[in-house]
Amino acid sequence: MKKIKKGKLAIIYAIISILLVLAGCGSNQDSSKENLDNKQKVTVQHELGKTSIPKNPKKIVVLELSFVDALQGLGMKPIGIADDNKTDMIEKLVGDKIDYTSVGTRQQPNLEVISSLQPDLIIADYQRHKEIYKDLEQIAPTIELKSRESTYEENVDSFKTIAKAVGKEKEANQRLDEHEKTIAELKNELKEEKDQTVLPAVVRDTSFQAHTSSSFDGEFLEKLGLKNAVQNKEAYAEMNLEQLSDINPDILILANNEGKLLTDEWKGNSLWKNLKAVKNDKVFVVDRDLWTRYRGVVSAEAIGKDTVKLLNEE
Amino acid sequence: MTNIVLKPKANKYIVAFVSVCLLIVGMVIHIAFGSSSISFIDVLKALFASDDSKQTTIIQTLRLPRAVLAALIGASLAVAGALMQAITRNSLASPQVFGVNAGASLAIVMALILFPELNSQTTVYIAFLGAALGGITVYLFASGGKTTHVKLALAGMAVHLFLSSLTQGVIVLNEQATDVLYWLVGSINGKDWTHVKILFPWFVLGLFFAFSMSRSISILVLGENMATGLGEKVKWIRFFAGVIVVMLAGASVAVAGPIGFVGLIVPHIARKLVGGDYQRILPFSALLGAILLVYADVLSRFIAYPFESPVGIVTALIGAPFFLYLAKKGRNIKQ
Repeated sequence: MKKIKKGKLAIIYAIISILLVLAGCGSNQDSSKENLDNKQKVTVQHELGKTSIPKNPKKIVVLELSFVDALQGLGMKPIGIADDNKTDMIEKLVGDKIDYTSVGTRQQPNLEVISSLQPDLIIADYQRHKEIYKDLEQIAPTIELKSRESTYEENVDSFKTIAKAVGKEKEANQRLDEHEKTIAELKNELKEEKDQTVLPAVVRDTSFQAHTSSSFDGEFLEKLGLKNAVQNKEAYAEMNLEQLSDINPDILILANNEGKLLTDEWKGNSLWKNLKAVKNDKVFVVDRDLWTRYRGVVSAEAIGKDTVKLLNEE
Repeated sequence: MTNIVLKPKANKYIVAFVSVCLLIVGMVIHIAFGSSSISFIDVLKALFASDDSKQTTIIQTLRLPRAVLAALIGASLAVAGALMQAITRNSLASPQVFGVNAGASLAIVMALILFPELNSQTTVYIAFLGAALGGITVYLFASGGKTTHVKLALAGMAVHLFLSSLTQGVIVLNEQATDVLYWLVGSINGKDWTHVKILFPWFVLGLFFAFSMSRSISILVLGENMATGLGEKVKWIRFFAGVIVVMLAGASVAVAGPIGFVGLIVPHIARKLVGGDYQRILPFSALLGAILLVYADVLSRFIAYPFESPVGIVTALIGAPFFLYLAKKGRNIKQ
């Protein structure tokens, strides 16, 4: 009995090692072929080191929405998007129906689907996809950039890095100039008095999460001349009604969740009724996708237009 | 009387007096601390004032209900824990360790995603259902008979972790639906009188029934044979105690999420202070549970001051080492 078992084990080992060797050969061949095809490569510095990317990548898979926005700003479209299986969210972001393959959720992208698309480049989020960087690298050259919980400026940097990776630096500079101009125009249009404080927040059933001066929307509003009511290094801060009434911002911008909301419970309280923003009718409900999920150069402009429209209405 | 066998270790009147004082002091400290600085005297004034100034509103509509809720939940979870330790005769039992909290939490999260417009009153019943399912699953392991305390606790922890991971999974798949952290560790930040109103009837019912069956429970702890010999209907006692556990723990989870470890620690402290008689353990567990959660909630504010952190983090911080200590002690006794 024992001998047979040993024999079987040996065979299994042999099969496994052959498979491993074959697999090794396979990937080696692939990469050497790639090297021959694309002698010209671009090296891009990103959050997890340097990656060389074949010049002018065509097939790009993105794992965060802000990267869709960035490619959009450069006149490109990804072939695969981690869209949380919500096509309409992407349609709203791009402003048009585009042809792409969903690669699952941003939290847990499907590596098999990504690899079946045979991309030239993968753009992943530094916070969400740090752990799977090695797996992604095996599928295609991958760059990890800041998106989730990142500031507006960090997103602009990510935009520049993406432009370099796809060989469109010139277009990117043009687009950014245009962007600066748009912001300057919006800032002029904004009729708000100076020194008004604003607080954007995401409201859920059990939490009121303020977006501080270090959040994407918070920092962008500061660029428009609206001071954030919470100056903090952390992007988000959990808050209760007492803290909110202490901070008492002039303008409240709420990106509400679907379903029950904590603020509905607060509405009966006189502290809520006495908030400056509530008294002066400056509580605005905005689209959560646009304000807190898309995070990019193009959507920042849309946020700016939204802000001007809402605040100038009266 | 059974009390003769189980001698208290300290004078119960002294313990009761000190505990009540501690609770009152704790509640005052709880109410006195907050993001807006209000002087101590103003806090006391505001408690009894009837104007509608900002200070009075903050104290009466935000801080006071939160302190009351902390006390009610602490008491409920502690009594639920004491009952569970009695009916399973396992010193490691508690609503968290045996999957009751996680079951309630999962049920609520699922319900919130399937029916987003659900009102808070209905969530309580859904919590009961989940709590019962979680508890029964673990209890089935217990009725095997030969499982040791630590093994049973491990089975319970496994069910707890399994249910928690399902909760996490459900929330990850519906990212915008609700807060992950809240439904995994529990928090009483931002709660007001509406939540106190939801919990209060279940708190009163649960404690009333628990106290009124405390004598039977004391006998049950002596052993099944002994209890049957003394004329107790063991199965029914277990069943009713189980219903009370579901009521107290389920309602607590429905208003504040699955705050852990209160039900585990407190009955042990109560036993140390007043002896093994459940006629004393139950009321003292309620009192000490209230004290623990009130002080823990004060501490929770200093983790990420001036912003809020869930109180469940603090109870886990205190409770986890205690759990390991009990597991180790239990093993020594068994061997």
